Amino acid sequence: MTPLGDLGDAAGCAERLARWTAGYSPLPGRPDAYLAPDGSPRGAWPRLLDRLGRLSEPEMMARFVSAERHIRDAGISFRVYGDQREHAWPLGSLPLVIEADEWRALSAGLVQRAELMEMILADVYGPGDLVAGGFLPAALVAGSPEFLRPLHGLQPPGGRFLKLYAADIGRGPDGRWQVLADRTQAPSGMGWALENRMVLARTFPDVFDELRVERFPAFFQAFREGLAAGAERADPRICLLTSGPYSSTYVEQAALARYLGLLLVEGDDLVMQDGRLHVRTVSGLKRADALWRRIDADYLDPLELNPASRLGVPGVLEALRNGSLVMCNIPGSGLCESGALGAYLPGIARRLLGEDLKLGGPPTWWCGDPDGLAHVRDNLDALTLRPAATPQRGAGRDAILGPQALAADRERTVAALRDRPFDYVGQELDPLSTMPSWERTGSGLHLVPRPFVLRVFAAHTPSGWQVMPGGFCRVAERDNLDPTELRLGIRSADVWVLSDKPVDSTRLVQTRTPRVRRIPGHLPARAADGLFWFGRYAERAEAVIRLVVAHLRSIGDALATDIRGNPHGPTAERIRTLLTEWGAASAAGLPTAILAQEALTGREVRGSARAHIESARRNAAMLRNRLSGEAWRVLADLVELLSLDPGRAFTESQLLGRAERALSHLSALSGLSQENLNRAAGWHFVDLGRRIERAINTCDFALAFAHDEANPESLGVMLALCDSQISYGARYLEGVALDPVRDLVLLDPYNPRSIAFQAEAIARHLAELPSLSADGVPEPQCRLAARIVAEFRSSEAADFDAVGMARMEAELERLADSIGARYFARGPEAMRPHKLAGLG
Amino acid sequence: MIYTLRHRTTYRYGRPVRFASCSLRLRPRDGDGQVVQSSAVTITPSPASAVARRDYFGIEALGITVDVPHTEFDVEAVSRVEVSRPEPPAPESGLPWDEVRDAVVASRDLGADAPIHFLFPSTRVPLVPEVTDYARASFVAGRSAYGAANDLMHRIRTDFRFDARATNVHTPLAEAFALKAGVCQDFAHVMIAGLRGMGLPAAYVSGYLRTAPPPGQPRLRGADASHAWVAVWCGDAWRGLDPTNDLAVRDDHIIVARGRDYSDVAPIDGIVAGSGRQKLKVEVDVIPDGEEACGEPEAPALALAE
Repeated sequence: MTPLGDLGDAAGCAERLARWTAGYSPLPGRPDAYLAPDGSPRGAWPRLLDRLGRLSEPEMMARFVSAERHIRDAGISFRVYGDQREHAWPLGSLPLVIEADEWRALSAGLVQRAELMEMILADVYGPGDLVAGGFLPAALVAGSPEFLRPLHGLQPPGGRFLKLYAADIGRGPDGRWQVLADRTQAPSGMGWALENRMVLARTFPDVFDELRVERFPAFFQAFREGLAAGAERADPRICLLTSGPYSSTYVEQAALARYLGLLLVEGDDLVMQDGRLHVRTVSGLKRADALWRRIDADYLDPLELNPASRLGVPGVLEALRNGSLVMCNIPGSGLCESGALGAYLPGIARRLLGEDLKLGGPPTWWCGDPDGLAHVRDNLDALTLRPAATPQRGAGRDAILGPQALAADRERTVAALRDRPFDYVGQELDPLSTMPSWERTGSGLHLVPRPFVLRVFAAHTPSGWQVMPGGFCRVAERDNLDPTELRLGIRSADVWVLSDKPVDSTRLVQTRTPRVRRIPGHLPARAADGLFWFGRYAERAEAVIRLVVAHLRSIGDALATDIRGNPHGPTAERIRTLLTEWGAASAAGLPTAILAQEALTGREVRGSARAHIESARRNAAMLRNRLSGEAWRVLADLVELLSLDPGRAFTESQLLGRAERALSHLSALSGLSQENLNRAAGWHFVDLGRRIERAINTCDFALAFAHDEANPESLGVMLALCDSQISYGARYLEGVALDPVRDLVLLDPYNPRSIAFQAEAIARHLAELPSLSADGVPEPQCRLAARIVAEFRSSEAADFDAVGMARMEAELERLADSIGARYFARGPEAMRPHKLAGLG
Repeated sequence: MIYTLRHRTTYRYGRPVRFASCSLRLRPRDGDGQVVQSSAVTITPSPASAVARRDYFGIEALGITVDVPHTEFDVEAVSRVEVSRPEPPAPESGLPWDEVRDAVVASRDLGADAPIHFLFPSTRVPLVPEVTDYARASFVAGRSAYGAANDLMHRIRTDFRFDARATNVHTPLAEAFALKAGVCQDFAHVMIAGLRGMGLPAAYVSGYLRTAPPPGQPRLRGADASHAWVAVWCGDAWRGLDPTNDLAVRDDHIIVARGRDYSDVAPIDGIVAGSGRQKLKVEVDVIPDGEEACGEPEAPALALAE
């Protein structure tokens, strides 16, 4: 990045600013963040734009590119519900800026609202005074699917229902902030806000510092302390219960778990035992003291709530009742998302707090109330009709009837109001307010007003409610879109709250000095499983690529005269057969280049190198909180390298080049896991996966290329596949022969590619992993490994004929199963969707 | 009338189940014209833990866990219940249905027995516009709530065919309604959806019905069945109506539990840790005092899916 502040370019700066903002005018009838109705700029926007104006357009473009690069490398992505693919994160490059004074007022309103929600929940699930006193209709409580009756009477551990409150806000027609929807169930978006911040603060570090943007760490530190507050044990284990890798916000959840140092778990990682919640780890069951749930309450406990749920933990409500678990938020908190609550909040605020609402919502009438119904019937043209009981989904997205409704819809609605009027509310909804957003056109950059919704967060911490200084802002890419849900065509924006004091620039810090600790907690069984398969798939990709390289090289290799130019010689034929058996090629008879392309990059074949890398990445995706950024970047590069247009033909030498580069990336990946993964447990599993897979593949190689009748050329391929030509050449001057080759690639414990070496490494890993039995008797997988090691130590090359090899391969498969049974076993329904049983 | 009730449920699994965690709702309800004299449940294999809990609606559920591997799970509940209810009122009597509806919506009562809990869609009873439209014909202006409900019951009994093969325990309400066929569960769910669609609170009642053995023959062991019907809120009382038999509830019906729909009152539900197939057998006996249960133990049992 070039040093900034070409201050001599004042004229250029003014010219750019004028060009960016030329033609910018607020949409009719909508408040705009940047320009007041009289056309004068508001608040901090001139400062932001002036500062950005000092960047030349090429410089600006370069920064956009670097932001996009960072998003790709960091793997920040999201899923559209029901879509298998992940989409790159659509971060716009202009933040929403809010000045300190305005933010203080907004925060005070949020805190008041959050506290009010807490009091409502405590009353509804407790004494019920609000309903009995007529401040809240019984029908609104009873009719809410989030009024969870099993929770009635609960004394929430730690004394609170809400630890996290969020609100979707926008500016009303008078320019004041108003709440479009309350989020009390399991608000998402803080992780995206974090990611947006990391990208934008990196892209515009100079602007960021100069404008004195409020930082996040102190808030997140306090939020983390809030999560643990009320836990039984002094050093509580905090878990984030995710809705799983296929949920649209999984990446966000993983980012938060990583940032906050929480254990990322799915339902079947957790189990109730003796009335307490536990995590399944490789060291057995360990207490879980605090849970931040990101699944809806209904799914939390199939025993007491929705019996069809596969996401939850049977019986977990019991841990809330006996006080052994604190939770964010208590199930049933979603009650406060009800659309009709808005009609009663002002009265409840006066009743419970003796205050007026500082931050209101759109005017709302409940149709279960005779006066409300009369008003709605008389004003159908001006109102939006929405469900009363179900969670409000933001700016009118759940509308049943809007002011512009067709006559036919109106008729239906009037009928609905006749049978069950109490199911509806009428709301005066205004179009969303706008903020400036970049648009790139042929003539360069300029700014346009775009509708946005801002989600803001308040956390209950040991020192009371704290508001996250910033938020998650979604911006529509067209002016008529309703940006309440992330979809294609929606951008997100960082939110800069400007400080009027110097900002606290500390990183995430502990308020207490943490106890020094070297074992980073117990590895959850799921994480171990993911790491193990990450290792296996990476190794499996490498084996496929090595086969392809061997095939392509042998054809071009002047020394391998007997198969030169003859892709159908016996050795080449065996390579092709093995690739086909492994599912990397659809038919052994394909032309060489096509076969190689398919084996490297095929989407249709399940065993291509690319398919394995994507499986590795999928497993890594479940481990986003454990994998370093570099490893993630290398994986992204690998996928890119192995993604070739299937419609285009590539030459053999082009493919060879790709394959060789992919091999270097793979060794970089393996180096990264050697160097960067914590040795406490995680690394053991990646390496175990890699070693087991390598041992099994080498058995397959040996059966194909070091069989009893193997000729020197076949043995040469064997050495190449095991990357052992150099070792062989240094040891034997007489040329290749069967027994020496077998000894080197199978039995030699000093050759890091030999099976014996893998077996010794596996046995060492297993010995270092935690044992469940205290009696000193080795566990089954350790005994099996010991037997395999002993067999290699006591064998000689001639023992490994086809029968011996096949037997060894079966032993290794058994060992893999035994490791799985010991460390990864979960519920019987926990079959993983994307796992293949093994090669071949 | 005093009844001896025997309700035996047997699950057979293809492969051993290592762990089971279940809720049993088999103890008949006290009140509503019933007195439970005794009630006991026998579980095999014997559970590792058993905790009785009352849910929000007062339904008693016995939460049990079984942690020994088993291929057969057997639950037998035996109860003695005295039933004595007043004669049901005349079909067209009672408060007008729209007044009942408005009073419920305006009510400030959120207690366990409050009718408001039974006004909204529930897990197994969504609001289906077609069902509401079907029910509407019974809700003429000025009619009493009880009268409208009686009429709806009668129409369901007339328009729907009892057919145990048409539906199963998982058949969605809208599908049973389209088929115009099903068993007591479907009849009850359809009627509840119709009543709620028109704004009247309606509950699902599970229990048993006294049946007469074939004339001149002894009662066959296990030949009775569990039953389900509807309770409708009439502004001053809950009234039981049985759409399967077009019958106002009196002393032949024995109530086990009253909930929003089947899922609130399922006699047995829960989670088993196992991967094989399961076979289910249910035997029910409803024996009025003064009549001896006898007959053929090998008689084919009614396999009601539960």
